Amino acid sequence: MVIDQRNAGASVTITANPQYTLDRWFAGVTNASKISVQQNAGSVTPPVGFTKYLGVTSLAATTPASSDVYYMQQSIEGFNIADLAWGTASAKTITISFQVYSSLTGTFGAVILNAPSNRSYPFNYTISSANTWTSISVTIAGDTTGTWATDNTTGIQLRFGLGAGSTYQGTAGAWGTANVVTTTGATSVVGTNGATFYITGVQLEKGSVATSFDYRPYGTELALCQRYFQTYAQPPLRGTCSATSATSRMAMILPVVMRSAPTAVVGALPIYDGFATTTVSSVIQSYLFAAQVEFDFNTPAVLTAFRPASVYQAGSSTMTLSAEL
Amino acid sequence: MYKLLSDTIFGPATSVLRVSDGACIPCDPDNTDYAAYLAWLAEGNTPEAADEIKGE
Repeated sequence: MVIDQRNAGASVTITANPQYTLDRWFAGVTNASKISVQQNAGSVTPPVGFTKYLGVTSLAATTPASSDVYYMQQSIEGFNIADLAWGTASAKTITISFQVYSSLTGTFGAVILNAPSNRSYPFNYTISSANTWTSISVTIAGDTTGTWATDNTTGIQLRFGLGAGSTYQGTAGAWGTANVVTTTGATSVVGTNGATFYITGVQLEKGSVATSFDYRPYGTELALCQRYFQTYAQPPLRGTCSATSATSRMAMILPVVMRSAPTAVVGALPIYDGFATTTVSSVIQSYLFAAQVEFDFNTPAVLTAFRPASVYQAGSSTMTLSAEL
Repeated sequence: MYKLLSDTIFGPATSVLRVSDGACIPCDPDNTDYAAYLAWLAEGNTPEAADEIKGE
């Protein structure tokens, strides 16, 4: 939970479905503005060994209708679960461990699913003491049936339920075929206005024992996240003005190869051609690949044909690239 | 709503524009936003035509 490229620690109210929050974690909701998510929400002391956590706050007392859902999810790329051999007779057992803290107590629900959401294993965990970090460990026998991707698409969906209607609740402790987000009878975080649900140290590993959390260097963690999302202020795009100076083409090599060709959102960019400066904001065309991106821009006439063009370090221009699952 | 981006002399359009947020979406089947665009097309929707390109 240490990387938060999109919001840099700011609180966000969840208004879209899905809506990414801290890196690799999205909120799934059927109704807007019922929860907020923030890195270190509430500023409680994280568990020993951790500095960050993902914090959910309920913004209303919401009773989910039968088909309503509220949950946090991480989708794990198929390449990273291939060794589990799920969907075969050799399916390996996994253990999921995490630290959780809530203003509520009781039985909470979470679920493991495949990408088509037609294989699922809901499981319970218990928080006995409110506002206290609790270590949870759950061991799950691997699924010997179903389709579990082992490529660059979604391999496993891991969901932590915050509340759901009856359609999306499943029986804990058994593999099934329903697309669910929590367990039958689980505590509903969204049911209480102001309720909190904080989580960190989430680890999914092969075997029946939860080993100690695998702390990785910050640079490694950031690079792993950048496979799925990258954000830039003044992206280092470099290129040239066209013959008519009406367009410019600029490209950059990405520091981390992304999971797939990314979706790009490009803000107004300050451009310098070695003589004049201007701002471009209209993308004519984009050429997006996992390892590089390139754009054609409409360019104001102040730039000179055939001159080099580059984004220079000024203003607050931004570019985001997303190859999320 | 989506909009096609212009072809250029270097080749055909390789992405589409999502009008709501200005996102450029690559024509890559592994990109989830492109998958959403294809689903939108399958519902019978039609994207806006591309703007005329000014120069190259």
